[in-house]
Amino acid sequence: MLILLSAFVEQPSGGSSIRWVISHGGSLKVVGSTNVNNFSCSIMNYSRPDTLSVYRTSNNVRMTGNVQLDVEDFDCHNLVMTADLRKTLKAKQHPRLGIKFLNLNKFPGANQQNVKGMVIIELAGVARQFEVNYTIVPGERQTITLTGSRDIKFSDFNIVPPRKLGGMIQTNDELKVEFKLRLKALD
Amino acid sequence: MRKVLTTGLLAGSVLFVLSYGGLYLAVKFFPWIFVEYNNPLFNSDGSRDLLFYLHAFIFSLALSWFWERFKSLFHGSFLIRGAEFGLVYGVVSLLPVMWITFSAMDITPFMVSSWFIYGLAQAIVAGLVFAKTNP
Repeated sequence: MLILLSAFVEQPSGGSSIRWVISHGGSLKVVGSTNVNNFSCSIMNYSRPDTLSVYRTSNNVRMTGNVQLDVEDFDCHNLVMTADLRKTLKAKQHPRLGIKFLNLNKFPGANQQNVKGMVIIELAGVARQFEVNYTIVPGERQTITLTGSRDIKFSDFNIVPPRKLGGMIQTNDELKVEFKLRLKALD
Repeated sequence: MRKVLTTGLLAGSVLFVLSYGGLYLAVKFFPWIFVEYNNPLFNSDGSRDLLFYLHAFIFSLALSWFWERFKSLFHGSFLIRGAEFGLVYGVVSLLPVMWITFSAMDITPFMVSSWFIYGLAQAIVAGLVFAKTNP
């Protein structure tokens, strides 16, 4: 039965695959706003050595791999705002923010290009699938910088945007997420 | 007792409009003042909004009782009596509370000063209402 099922699982078509290891210097930034200010919080220097793979299948470009970031590493450049964001994102109950890569709409080439792809973002214990806009910039020595961005909402993850003073101060539901990964091709 | 309740509710209504109206306008026109409220010290899930908006009435009913007990000590026109009543409340109650709040919580001098001025202004308004309606 297992052999029969495995016949239906997509396999790489051979030759058209790339494997990257995540190098030092990755980052994730969230930009949002309240009715009294804007905020920008980031996790810098992500460098957990995970591997991302991209391979062409018969009908699309699949991508595998994921990154896991510590919500406690968010820095909003202001101690109280940092603490507030961590509380909002339920860092104690759900300490990790995960991005799982699923596919791309075209195979990465040797030149700079913009592609789209699906990811699953897991935040505050809720996983949601999104289409992400990527910019892929090739660098020296078989490295690339993969920048992904996407507008999301707190409510996508069942998070109620913080409100203070009886709702007089309200955080807007929309957030812009941008992550940047420095990747080195594996031989 | 009835007079305490009616003047307390009247002052509460006046303060409700002035306090929250003023707060709304301040947030709209001077948003930078409120940036510090993005702070986990402040309730953020809306579960205490009703308590927040009831404050004007809790405050006014308590002060109404205080006015009834001690109004004979305040002399002069209703403006003088109301203002002095507010100042007495500010010095006797508000100042020590703000002092201990600032000493124990991670808040800025600006924030605690704004609370003191806000509370003092509320007490003076309430005092004016009491001096006029329950002399």
